[in-house]
Amino acid sequence: MPRAAGTLGFALWSLITGLLALMPVGASATTLHFGAQGDTARPLSIYGVLDPPQMRPLLEDFHRRNPDIAIDYHNLETLALHTRVLQERDAPQADVIMSPAMPWQYQLANEGLSAGVDSVAAEAWPSWARWRHELFGVTFEPIVMVYRRDLAERMAPPQSHADLLARLNDHSDTLHGRVVTYDPRLSGAGYTYAIEDARISARYWDLVEALGRSDAALETTTQAMLEGLSDGRYWIGYNLIGSYVQNYVATHPELVMVVPQDYALVLQRLVMMMRNAPHPDTAARFIDYLLSSAAQTLLATRTTLGAVHPRVDGEGTAQALRARLGDAIRPVEIGPGLLATLDTLKRQTLLEQWQQAFENRATFSDGPLGDPAPLPAPLPASPQEPSNP
Amino acid sequence: MSVARRLRLSHLSLYRRLMIWLLCPLLILVAIMLLQAWFASREAADRAFDRLLDAASLSIAEQVRWQQSRLWMDLPPSALEMLATDARERVFYALYDARGQFVTGNRSLPSLPPGDSGQMSYGDVDSRGMSVRLGVLRSRLEGWDRSDRFEVRVAQTREGREALANQLFLSSFVNIALIALLAMVVVLLSARFALEPLTRLRRAIRQRDPRTLAPLELKLPRELAELRQALNELLARMRRVRANQERFIGDASHQLRTPLAGLSARAELALRQDDPKAWREALDTMHDSAAKTARLAGQLLSLTRLNNPEATPASQSVDLVALAQRCVREAFSRCHRRGIDLGVEVPDGNLRVAATEWQLEEALNNLIENASLYGASRITVRVTADPLCLMVEDDGPGIPESQRLLVLRPFHRGQESGSGTGLGLAIVDGIARAHDIRLSLHDTHPDHPERPGLCIVLTFPSGG
Repeated sequence: MPRAAGTLGFALWSLITGLLALMPVGASATTLHFGAQGDTARPLSIYGVLDPPQMRPLLEDFHRRNPDIAIDYHNLETLALHTRVLQERDAPQADVIMSPAMPWQYQLANEGLSAGVDSVAAEAWPSWARWRHELFGVTFEPIVMVYRRDLAERMAPPQSHADLLARLNDHSDTLHGRVVTYDPRLSGAGYTYAIEDARISARYWDLVEALGRSDAALETTTQAMLEGLSDGRYWIGYNLIGSYVQNYVATHPELVMVVPQDYALVLQRLVMMMRNAPHPDTAARFIDYLLSSAAQTLLATRTTLGAVHPRVDGEGTAQALRARLGDAIRPVEIGPGLLATLDTLKRQTLLEQWQQAFENRATFSDGPLGDPAPLPAPLPASPQEPSNP
Repeated sequence: MSVARRLRLSHLSLYRRLMIWLLCPLLILVAIMLLQAWFASREAADRAFDRLLDAASLSIAEQVRWQQSRLWMDLPPSALEMLATDARERVFYALYDARGQFVTGNRSLPSLPPGDSGQMSYGDVDSRGMSVRLGVLRSRLEGWDRSDRFEVRVAQTREGREALANQLFLSSFVNIALIALLAMVVVLLSARFALEPLTRLRRAIRQRDPRTLAPLELKLPRELAELRQALNELLARMRRVRANQERFIGDASHQLRTPLAGLSARAELALRQDDPKAWREALDTMHDSAAKTARLAGQLLSLTRLNNPEATPASQSVDLVALAQRCVREAFSRCHRRGIDLGVEVPDGNLRVAATEWQLEEALNNLIENASLYGASRITVRVTADPLCLMVEDDGPGIPESQRLLVLRPFHRGQESGSGTGLGLAIVDGIARAHDIRLSLHDTHPDHPERPGLCIVLTFPSGG
């Protein structure tokens, strides 16, 4: 037995190192470090779910403004971040955590793991984008649809959820197996969007049924969907994370990003300072920086994350998106409603309903279902991440 | 000692006393009202926010059903959202089955004993270091086949409640403070009005002519009217005393003027004559008259001294027997010259009393002198041990019973014939009063209506 286990362990080890070797260099660097200039280094430790290419400009700018702070940035998967924060709840190692997995972040704050930030910027932050002075939505990332440019030769590309449903109904044969979306049973992000979609409109279930009838492909990451679209395997992608898509589309002109016009879910990266943070001063300074117009301008211009700050305007800001789409913009509300998303029974109920709709069958009368698979990582970390198994 | 003095309030003005006695209870009352308002506002806030717990748990309970052989719930997000008000409370919920087993929720929450009314009970509990308000809804499945009991427990942190409670309390506080301020103004004004008659009385007394003793005529409230009456009674007594004094002074001047006028007339008469023999005769008469006047002046002096209430001479132990013998010895020759038989009857040994010796001596001398001046031929001074008395008896004309009180007044003479000053018995009376001695007058020989004689008895207080 020990021998067999050893062999298996070795095999796994080779697999992981092999995968790591295949990954791009940027993604493999899961930490960023900025040393302090001067004698008195003031440390700052950040856990985040944002890859270094997007995070680096932000940290560089902060470091340029605060050269006395030595920054340690740890890039983690959303679920890893969540479990690590819970493990460290009594003696946190991180000062600031930042994650787009809104229900999970909200749950941590609701549990009292966050600390209040009392500053002018925190007070002035729009109330729809914060919870108390503890949880701040610092980015503005719409959930979008993507289609291939050559789709226009066959049909009018969908501009809204209703359009998508109509295309699926009208061209079910043409689109058979050509539409891709998240599998809510396997992806936390997909599940979150499904629950929000279902709350916004009852017609979501019609859409799920239509997707099921056209035998839509299910993926677990935005990256996988984008790759499939780029390859030509899929023609239409539904519910992709806009910030990743924007990045990808910039280098793949065959793809077109559409922010749905009837309603567009918007997710926000939620930042909070840890209660009992080891370095609350530097943590508060970093959060203050994120809420400043300088950082927000940088987010809008040098990243694809989108700015929230009400005085920052232009391409890639909440202001611009709102000006274009008006009431159709539906940021996921930062409130206790997010707790319902994490309820186990709620999740099972929704997934069963989703599966039922997707497979176009009635299940409950036939007998009890088995428990669904355990909760997977709620959101992908970045467009560059490898596909989930 | 110093603390006791500081605590004594008798030196405080009436106004301050009133202030203290009115404002202290007022302040205590205000404190009680504020305390009550504090609790009431918290209770009102809890009642208002408990409705949210109620609604949320009902909305959750509606979603509970039996599915896949277990309690099942499709948690409505709106139920949780209604728990978070503008104060952004932290929200917790949990579903427990009939056996108290956790079914689902974001935190395990304790149960509460059933409330008095309804299915819902509320309580303040501490959950992992957070002070939360917990609501527990007891319900059961409504179905054809299952009717399992279950509990929906929802909790929220207290920020919203505290904000509302503080807001309610603040408005109560403002109201109470205004009322208290008003009450204080009323108290201050009413105390000033209530004390106004006192100020009037003070002014009326101050503005009076210092020489007048006329009664105060002033309209005053009942309590002060009593004071005014007492004051008027005192004034009336003072008026009587002053009348007595004025009469005494008038009498004394009159008494002194008569012999002085006599002296002057006699001297004038003698100066018109050239006979030295007549001069000598006149000088003899003048000497007698001057001596008599001197004695009168001396007696006036002693009467004044006796009547002075502030001069209380120290008393000492006096032997009555020795005193009687000494006085008789001194008066003997004088009486003998007038042909009066003066005798003394005393028991053996000493009889001591506490008294001022010179005053007793003065009294005895006056009594002997008095008797000798009013026509007695035989005077006996007697001291008895039981009861302790000093008596002077004579066989003179006596004093009719109706006159006996009057003769004690200064310048009253029982008869016009005598050569006395009219002060002797008054002085004796004054001394007797000063020593708490009972003075009584009797007939010596009651069976002898022509010349009953007079017996004056000084009875000393027993044990004195």
